[in-house]
Amino acid sequence: MKSSDLFRDELIKNYLDRYVDRDAGDLIILWERMAIQIIALVGDGGFNSLYERSLALTQTTFPWLVDAPTAVQSAQRCATLRLRFEEQLIAQARAANHQLLVTLTDLLASLIGERITVVILKMAMDSEHAEVNSTKESN
Amino acid sequence: MNAKVNIRRLKTGVPGLDNLLGGGLPEFSFNLIAGSPGTGKTTLAHQIMFGLATPASPALFFTVLGEPTLKMLRYQQQFPFFDAEKINKSIRYFNLSIELVEGNFDRVLKSIIEEVKKYQPGFVFVDSFRSIVHAIMDKTQGEAALERFVQQLGVHMATWQATTFLIGEYLVPEAGSSPVFTIADGIVWMAQNLHRNSLVRKIQVVKIRGQEQAPGLHTFRISDNGIQIYPRAIINAGASSDAAGKGNAGEGRVAMGIPGLDAMMGGGLPSGYSLLVVGPSGSGKTILATEFLTEGAKRGETGVIAAFEKSPSQLLSNQLSALIKSRQVGVIETRALDLSIDQTLHDLTEMITRTNAKRVVIDSLSGFELALAPEFQEDFRASLYRMIAELTSIGVTILMTSELEDRYTDLRFSPFGSAFLADAIIVQRYIEINGEFKRAISVVKVRGSQHSKQIRLFDINDDGIVLGAPLSDYTGIMTGRPVPSSANSRTGQ
Repeated sequence: MKSSDLFRDELIKNYLDRYVDRDAGDLIILWERMAIQIIALVGDGGFNSLYERSLALTQTTFPWLVDAPTAVQSAQRCATLRLRFEEQLIAQARAANHQLLVTLTDLLASLIGERITVVILKMAMDSEHAEVNSTKESN
Repeated sequence: MNAKVNIRRLKTGVPGLDNLLGGGLPEFSFNLIAGSPGTGKTTLAHQIMFGLATPASPALFFTVLGEPTLKMLRYQQQFPFFDAEKINKSIRYFNLSIELVEGNFDRVLKSIIEEVKKYQPGFVFVDSFRSIVHAIMDKTQGEAALERFVQQLGVHMATWQATTFLIGEYLVPEAGSSPVFTIADGIVWMAQNLHRNSLVRKIQVVKIRGQEQAPGLHTFRISDNGIQIYPRAIINAGASSDAAGKGNAGEGRVAMGIPGLDAMMGGGLPSGYSLLVVGPSGSGKTILATEFLTEGAKRGETGVIAAFEKSPSQLLSNQLSALIKSRQVGVIETRALDLSIDQTLHDLTEMITRTNAKRVVIDSLSGFELALAPEFQEDFRASLYRMIAELTSIGVTILMTSELEDRYTDLRFSPFGSAFLADAIIVQRYIEINGEFKRAISVVKVRGSQHSKQIRLFDINDDGIVLGAPLSDYTGIMTGRPVPSSANSRTGQ
């Protein structure tokens, strides 16, 4: 089954469409949440391996999407990714962001299955949503 | 008022494990699942976790360095018990690798407690606990710190009302010296032995506080369905005395289905007895067993056959095949060459209970012995004793066949020295009369019952076994070459 036929891809697409007016920095929020969820499940080492491989695969379409040479922590990786997005036109950054998300979740699904991958993705999206709501309420 | 605390026993969901634990897992207990690598510890932990975790009582699974979590999840979800829908709703994984990098028991304990407070699980798993111990003790902290850590972890988990499992690779010599073994309320030890190219997995509940476990080692399998434990049959006092004394003798008789044989046995085979039919190859043991099952079917009594001589596809006679097709007889599938007696017993009792069977055939003991893993072959006689006692204690009547080579120089009833296990024995053998092989049959034992002492000719035709005349006019039958008594009298012998 093509990943574009999957519920997961629809989830990603809807999420990104919802925040189409956001800037490059906002694109990183989901990555930070994803990192937390994936690290909780498979550890730092697991996340780093998945991220590096996904980046390598996405670079064939977006060669400018290069990681920092010394990045070992997920926070450093997210900061570098933000920089790369900011260096590009926002449309280009959004396209790369979408492909990187699909690639990483494809890879994760091939290893631990579609259902657990969707659970992780939804948790990351929900946690951001919850955070936004709680910020609104506190304001 | 009963002032005692009532400890709830949790059903683990692992077939056979609750039996070993003495009825289930004590709630809020602090347990260790230990053993060498590859013995199935993580699979057991997952099977328990998926069996027990619910949204109201969720599980928290802490992963550490040991097996990479990516791979663990990848492989564990192949088992049917792994329900991905439970992830996040009833089960959460949490990786402790970062805490270990700092190499400090307090940091690890703090993280575990923080997650437990946040998630309030009913069940906590730490896999591999051994990795925590190694990672930290290799750096700065010693045995005393480990003991304190384990104690604090145990107390915290109990006060947070979490039933806890530490999973770790241990070798037997280490077990005695580790504080974890002292502090744990329950210890489940898993092992695998390679013996003459045959792998046998064993499990032992070394310790379980507050209840009596099934002692000793028990076999288990890891199949596509997960772990299945086969508790070792243990003969209780009642079953033992029944096996020896047969208190129910005479209460009922089981018809054998062969005209004349019931009379030879003193009115049929007493119900609940074990009958051993011995004889050389081709003498008609399986046919006698088939008649036994057919007679049961006629009377509405379901039967079960464990056929070790032939595969189910080439099963015996049309007569037996028809009984199997009509579900009047169930067949035990035998996986050749690596069985344990307890697995066979489990399969038999499961089918007996399910079909309410009254008659059981084991055809044959020789084939059964061959189908066992080599290490069980060495203990065949004792294991068979346990199996027969267990089966007869549930009220079935058993017919076992056993091939016995005719020697004509000595009188034997079993190649395994197992004749004493049987309550009744029928011997079939070949004899030569007038230059022809003839078959002879005799009932040599029916415990607690009068029976015929005759040796009779018998034949096998399309209708089955047909008993012939008693060989009362012959002498020297046991030599295989009987001589008419009249000939002896003529020669003055």
